[in-house]
Amino acid sequence: MSDTLVQISNAVIEGRVKDAPGLTHNALQAGLTAKDILDKGLMPGMDVVGAEFKKGKKFVPEVLLSARTMQASLDILKPLLAEAGAKMTGKVVVGTVKGDLHDIGKNLVGMMLEGSGFEVVDLGKDVAPEKFVDAVKKEKPNIVAMSALLTTTMRSMGHTVTALKEAGLRDAVKIMIGGAPVTADFAAQIGADAYAPNAPAAAELAKKFVSA
Amino acid sequence: MPLYILACRVLQTIMEPYLRAADTLATFMEYGFHRTPQLMTPALQEELDKVAEPSVFIIGYGLCGNGLAGLKARQHTLIVPRADDCISLLLGSYERYIQEFSEEPGTYYLTKGWLESGSHPLKEYRELLEKYDQETADWILDEQYRNYKRIVFVASSEEERESYRHKAKEAADFCVERWGFRYEERVGTNEFVDKLMTVAREFTESNDDFLVIPPGGEIKQEMYWR
Repeated sequence: MSDTLVQISNAVIEGRVKDAPGLTHNALQAGLTAKDILDKGLMPGMDVVGAEFKKGKKFVPEVLLSARTMQASLDILKPLLAEAGAKMTGKVVVGTVKGDLHDIGKNLVGMMLEGSGFEVVDLGKDVAPEKFVDAVKKEKPNIVAMSALLTTTMRSMGHTVTALKEAGLRDAVKIMIGGAPVTADFAAQIGADAYAPNAPAAAELAKKFVSA
Repeated sequence: MPLYILACRVLQTIMEPYLRAADTLATFMEYGFHRTPQLMTPALQEELDKVAEPSVFIIGYGLCGNGLAGLKARQHTLIVPRADDCISLLLGSYERYIQEFSEEPGTYYLTKGWLESGSHPLKEYRELLEKYDQETADWILDEQYRNYKRIVFVASSEEERESYRHKAKEAADFCVERWGFRYEERVGTNEFVDKLMTVAREFTESNDDFLVIPPGGEIKQEMYWR
């Protein structure tokens, strides 16, 4: 792999926000495509960050800075990605569930999805099941992605799945969930389609859903 | 059967009177495991596994972001409060916690334990300023706390409320000024902890407020669902 991409990965891992624009421009000047920079530089960097966070080796401030670093690079890449890709990969409705105001993880997932070429409709935080239902009706997304940080609020994900069923919309979308207390077992129990352990994994899953 | 207490230090003051009365062996673990639940489970398992003789362990923890999920009883019996976090234990009941939660989901709680050696936004801000430049520190802090609406100091008694109000206010004033939080105070009751430390060890099966994990069993997230 090229040195430039390694440098970009490392900048993301170490959260060096200020280095991101320069490194990104260098990479583009060296002839790398926006997609290469994203897939082989930024994403692998965030993979490492996600794994270290899970192990308790990185904490929220560091993850935030890594995300900010990636965002700084994405701001440069986005127009180029749009030019090259032309068509959006698909549409995802994202939100933090009812009673939960923690949006760091949800925002991170939103950023990764956008980076992967998805159109993201962000419903924000404290999103009630009926709001998810309304958004599915209005936006007709391919995927609904829900986030929760608390064991007290994660149950609301199940309520959203039920609300979508009752509205006759369950089969119109794929549902994926994530957040600190969420597990694959829980996803199966509430009838979601999948669980993503971190933001890069969420973007990967979303890609699989739309290509299937 | 021997009795042991394995609890978070946040509950130490409220549990100590019971320990003195009964001469029970207790281990209080460091604060802050709820922020890294994946490290909490092995740390607690190690403590349980140190005791070879089948014993009753009273666990002074909430589910704490799944920090207790996966904890194995092995040869012991575990008595566990059925609460998502320690705030239920400090307020006095699960119902009171839910009442507070419904009133304002975006609540940041302060307790004596956290004020003494834990963390809070003001302390974190000071630490961030040591590590990062002003703009970065501001941004990191705001990203984490801007959505909260209220900061509540939960004291376990009127005396505690009076003696820790100064510290609580210092942390709260910072949040009130920065993000417009409301500051409130609550005096909890020792009802939940009292049951945990007295009658709960006699329970043979789980009920509304406590989980009983028999030898060979394991704590699971769904045991907390109501």
